[in-house]
Amino acid sequence: MSDQPVIEISGVVKTFGRKRVLDGETFAVQAGQTFAFLGRNGAGKTTTIRMLLGLIKPDSGTVRVLGLDPQKQPLEVRRRVGYVAEDQAMFGWMRVSQIISFIAPFYPKWDHGWARQLSERFELPLSTKVKHLSKGQGVRLALLLALAHRPELVILDDPTLGLDPIMRKEFLRDLVTYLQGERVTVFFSSHLLYEVEPVADAVAILDHGQVLRQDSTENLRAQIKRLIVPATAEAAVRELPGILDIARCGRQVAVVVSDAAPAVAALEHEGIAVQEIDLNLDEIFEAYVIGRKEPANAGPPLERVA
Amino acid sequence: MQGLLWKEWHEQRWKLAFGSLMLAAFAFVGLRARVIADDSLLRYVCGIAVLLLPLLSSTALVAAERSDGTLGSLLALPVQAWRVLVAKTVMGVALCAGPIVLTAMVSFAVSGGREMPAGAMAGMFARTLLAALSLFFWMFALSVRLPNETRAALVAVGVLVGWLIVSLGLYSAGARGTEPSLLWVTNPFFLFFMGRDGQSSVLAIAICMQAIIALALWLWAVRQFAKPQEGRS
Repeated sequence: MSDQPVIEISGVVKTFGRKRVLDGETFAVQAGQTFAFLGRNGAGKTTTIRMLLGLIKPDSGTVRVLGLDPQKQPLEVRRRVGYVAEDQAMFGWMRVSQIISFIAPFYPKWDHGWARQLSERFELPLSTKVKHLSKGQGVRLALLLALAHRPELVILDDPTLGLDPIMRKEFLRDLVTYLQGERVTVFFSSHLLYEVEPVADAVAILDHGQVLRQDSTENLRAQIKRLIVPATAEAAVRELPGILDIARCGRQVAVVVSDAAPAVAALEHEGIAVQEIDLNLDEIFEAYVIGRKEPANAGPPLERVA
Repeated sequence: MQGLLWKEWHEQRWKLAFGSLMLAAFAFVGLRARVIADDSLLRYVCGIAVLLLPLLSSTALVAAERSDGTLGSLLALPVQAWRVLVAKTVMGVALCAGPIVLTAMVSFAVSGGREMPAGAMAGMFARTLLAALSLFFWMFALSVRLPNETRAALVAVGVLVGWLIVSLGLYSAGARGTEPSLLWVTNPFFLFFMGRDGQSSVLAIAICMQAIIALALWLWAVRQFAKPQEGRS
């Protein structure tokens, strides 16, 4: 595959009525990546996905999927993309075998052998009606339907919503086994950060229709850190670039910065003792989305920091 | 297209069977009992068909699937929206036509030529079918964006009541359907109520006009159907 991104979104704006859902959204997904698209409910994740599939037209900006414009070639895009929707509704009256037979003709590259293998691996009862499947089986069936035409890109829109933790882990295990193993590009939208953290190569954080940051998971973890400094150094801390969250508690100030290395160097240059705390994806997301730029005396409890 | 038709058939076949059996059974029992004249009884049967069949079929096709959430899954497949709508339209026409055709066959078998000439009976069922189809396209097009069956049913009732008011208004104003006024020839009930009194040339104009309107409504429905719903972000 060429170096062209599999998904390329640039300056996309979309409004529904008076509500601006996407506001200059820009990001790119490279081939073979498992890309986590993070945002709170209402951040614009589903709207973005519907645009990728050509189901919604952007007001402005450009959207390219596999080098195609989903507005002009929606069918070609959908033929090459596997899609698992959030809480996907399927035809309950069909049996599992019937829904596979119903969906297959829409995809010229449908691989019946692969579909059969997946149904065995996912332990799907072919003669059972879809409405009688458990939630977990339903998600696995949706995954089978999304994968059996051997898509180049798989889009997962909060696919594990409503599953219990064990089922979520099983689903992610299947995902890792069958998608990353095949080097399929995965676009994984979720608000459950602990679920995407183990599988994501790259992350985009979406808030109020804008991508606040896109980077590899490694870079995010390496660069975004919480720094603990004495409260006497608050003035110096407030001068740091890239502050995402700041909280004062007692005689300490905790600050989350988007690039820790220069911030630490600057503080040490001032002779300020700094303690660096690594953050997980959940905390990084929280700092970007609900982080406060101003110190608060009654700030968040520091046990989070410790 | 074959798969879409198969899906619609599986989803609607029991409704089709139920509608056909109920209407045909009503005609059969009524014609056998001979409590009222065949002409009157068949007018009741056809009236029920015109009022209920378009309403039931138009609400069952798109709005029901939208409220189930399966329409979103269907439209996310690599298939043109108009193909989905063609399959639904074919099934809708079958839901309207099936019970009327079966009832006509039963009526001919039980009482063909007994009190009512066969030609008049055939004409009555043909006009019933055309009026039902005309109403179906109105209801189908106007409900294609609605999120659930209840709202679709309300719109369908609105279409029925609206055209009935127009018909009664024209009737009370003295029009008899023999003059090709625009409101008559575009009125689905003209085919049912007035067609039997009207001149065949006016009836032919009405059929042509309503076929054109049905096509225009269907094309408009395709445009509406393909538009995304404004939903969650």
